[in-house]
Amino acid sequence: MAKTLFYFIVFPGFLFTALVGLLVSWIDRKVTARVQWRVGPPLLQPLYDFVKLLGKETIVPQAGAKLTFLLSPLFGLAAVTIVSTLLWLVMISPKVTFLGDLIVVIYLLAIPSICVIIGGFASGNPLASLGASREMKMVLAYELPFILAIFTPVIQAQGAIRLGDLLQYQWANSIFLNSWSGLIAFVVAIICMQAKLALVPFDIPEAETEIIAGPYIEYSGVPLALYKLTRWMMLFVVPMFLVIMFMGGIVFSGWHILWGILKYVLLLVIIILMRNTNPRLRIDQAIKFFWGPMTILAVVGVILAFLGL
Amino acid sequence: MNLLHYLIIIPFIVGLFCLVIPKKLSKLRDLLAIGGGLATFYFTIVIFLRKPVEWFYNDLLLLKVDNLSGFILLAIGLFGVLIVLYSLKFMAGKERLSEYYTYLLWTIGGACGAILANNLILLLVFWGFLGLTLYLLIGIGGPEATPAAKKTFIIVGGSDCLMILGIAIIWSLTGSLQMDNISIHLTGLLPTVAFLALAIASFAKAGAMPMHTWIPDCAEKAPIPVTAFLPASLDKLLGIYLLGRIAMDIFVMNKAMGTLLLIVGAVTIIAAVMMALVQHDLKKLLSYHAVSQVGYMVLGIGTGNPIGIAGGIFHMLNHAIYKSCLFLTGGAVEHRTQTTNLNRLGGLAKLMPITFITCLIAALSISGVPPFNGFVSKWMIYQGVIQLGKDGDKLWIIWLVAAMFGSALTLASFMKLIHSVFLGSPSPTTPRPVAKRNEVSFTMWMPMAILAGLCVIFGVFAYRVPLKNFIFSAVPGISFLGFWSPGLATLLIIIGIILGAIIYWLGNIKSLRTDTTYVGGEIIPQDNRVTGVDFYDTIKDLGPLKVIYKKSEKKLFDIYDQGARVIFLFTKGLKKIHTGLLPTYLIWVLMGTVILFFILVKG
Repeated sequence: MAKTLFYFIVFPGFLFTALVGLLVSWIDRKVTARVQWRVGPPLLQPLYDFVKLLGKETIVPQAGAKLTFLLSPLFGLAAVTIVSTLLWLVMISPKVTFLGDLIVVIYLLAIPSICVIIGGFASGNPLASLGASREMKMVLAYELPFILAIFTPVIQAQGAIRLGDLLQYQWANSIFLNSWSGLIAFVVAIICMQAKLALVPFDIPEAETEIIAGPYIEYSGVPLALYKLTRWMMLFVVPMFLVIMFMGGIVFSGWHILWGILKYVLLLVIIILMRNTNPRLRIDQAIKFFWGPMTILAVVGVILAFLGL
Repeated sequence: MNLLHYLIIIPFIVGLFCLVIPKKLSKLRDLLAIGGGLATFYFTIVIFLRKPVEWFYNDLLLLKVDNLSGFILLAIGLFGVLIVLYSLKFMAGKERLSEYYTYLLWTIGGACGAILANNLILLLVFWGFLGLTLYLLIGIGGPEATPAAKKTFIIVGGSDCLMILGIAIIWSLTGSLQMDNISIHLTGLLPTVAFLALAIASFAKAGAMPMHTWIPDCAEKAPIPVTAFLPASLDKLLGIYLLGRIAMDIFVMNKAMGTLLLIVGAVTIIAAVMMALVQHDLKKLLSYHAVSQVGYMVLGIGTGNPIGIAGGIFHMLNHAIYKSCLFLTGGAVEHRTQTTNLNRLGGLAKLMPITFITCLIAALSISGVPPFNGFVSKWMIYQGVIQLGKDGDKLWIIWLVAAMFGSALTLASFMKLIHSVFLGSPSPTTPRPVAKRNEVSFTMWMPMAILAGLCVIFGVFAYRVPLKNFIFSAVPGISFLGFWSPGLATLLIIIGIILGAIIYWLGNIKSLRTDTTYVGGEIIPQDNRVTGVDFYDTIKDLGPLKVIYKKSEKKLFDIYDQGARVIFLFTKGLKKIHTGLLPTYLIWVLMGTVILFFILVKG
């Protein structure tokens, strides 16, 4: 029990994920700045931002449901911490079963979105409601191709749904990315991940220039800090999930660790580049994009997987 | 007298007393109704603990309780008590109350009988009786409810006819009507017809497509406790119980029939939840989910492997719990605001905190959010589907995606409901003063709280409570493909929340300030608010979906309306003959007699 607590709170759970999340968000901002010919913030800037937000006063909207408004960020933070703990423990010891399987991870990864939606609704602000409803529609949009893409490796691995089994299968044979179906599914999953992280071109729920940060509009001070932290952690956890599903995860021995980290950095670079070179879509365009071309592409991947390619 | 008889006789006799008690003694009648419910519940507990219990009549095993029916009886008993308790306040002051309680109690007795019956004819009798009480209970909703009651009666009663056909075929095939010693292989035409006939009867009861159309109509017009009791919980228990019985005991499933069930399940999940997305009425939205969730149960049973069947049956139990909880919260909202139109609700979370929390828990359960109970049963069904793939079925990914995507759609429509009813900005119809709590009375929130509590317990202690006591013994041979430790997950979520709370405490939370909402400096007009009703219009206007939605608004997919159209087409010609003129009729009679006479003489 004490061990589990340590896993959850220190490593690879909350503290570790939060610190890496801060670092990753710094990389994101730095690279973005470089792309835009700016200098960019110093390394500790995300931490400064976080601490500063903790010190600010928290304003609760009059029309809103106070307790729901304040509690929503906590559930999202808890869920993303659990997923991070689960993923890392699987990579460290694939034979040990901890908490849940692939389906559990997919469902847990949806909880931060649900919390943003409920928190936005609880604000009693029309723009927040609008933004939260867009977030919900985004979930609907990307979930369809995302499920198809994530289950393509499962087809290749003959129906294994424990993450440990999926990892061992890749270590024994070859990584799933190393096949046509895996490649297609990987591309689909990356684009769905961009939507899951609500980054440009899929930052439709927030759309600062349009609905002033949407569900976050009424948030300030500590709850806003928690939301920011959750998002930074998501930026670390979701790509890590794809690394496990398609690229064989991180093998904890010698140089393999560095190689594993490189896999993650590669995904991070793709995310950052995508978000810096695209304009924002409209919500109906996004739904059409995910339910149309993306789903078709994912189905092609699934068919190829059944054919053994 | 056998122990099993009590379950049937007590509700019937108490129901009869309720009917004859004079109106002045309404308190006594209420007490009697709740007493009858409690007594039945008590006996279901006793029987559950003592199972298996059997009752022979001249060597004929007529009534029995086994591992599958035991916990279903328990659920019927519990729902019976809770609904009667809820009705005391909700129905107070309404018309025809004595009849209402009588029918309610008779429904409990009939349902117990149908679950207990081991003889197919006996099952049919109780089944038909339940159709009648359902018709009568919907009719309590007043004259407006009559068309809905008629529709229900025609669909459910019509499927009863098919059930008779199915039972007749079974009798001609095996010469037996005892459910425990029939085992028919699905080879050839006759067994398949029998299976389909019984499956359609179970679909009509549970509300799987295409026999679902009575549920939305019934939910809209019938009193909410009736909807919460019958279409939402009891009819699911009965329908899926029958489907489970025929799929596991009476017939030996083959691949074709399994695939048929999978198709029905997948289509039901997606089509019904898509309809739920665009509803404007609280009750109608919930009722489409009552249809959609049946899809999961049918899908689970259609997989034909133990884990899938167990998932389907567990989902049936879970669904009964959270869906009746949702309908009861809907009833509480209606009780307070006198409306269920989502356009006219909003901001009730502050006024009705208990209703809000119970509704939120049930909504998250039905959407399959871990660690609530809906997740566990859906997770088991997914594993059943994946197991299907492992056994060589290539189509499993379709069923899996339908089920998982359906779960996202469910979440979406419940987010809309939560927003439109409880969160968002208060509507002009919200009771004033807004600042004061306005929760419904104890007897109304108590059943809701118990059901929401069950959602949590069945989720968090899934292995220790429901699976171990109810499911594992009913479906032998379960092996999990994946793993899920809900207890640990819950513990970690709690710790995560404590961590978050510590961050709150570290931060400047003491300087909490309340202020007006900010919309870029603009003042929002009172009547200009986001109700949430049109959240998913983007999806409604999307290419091919637009056409389908238009068609379904015209009731093109309603088997009842289409059937009526066909029948009216037939009667159109016959109608012309019926002119109402006596001489014309006399000529017809004369001509007929002449022809008959001619034939007889010639022969």
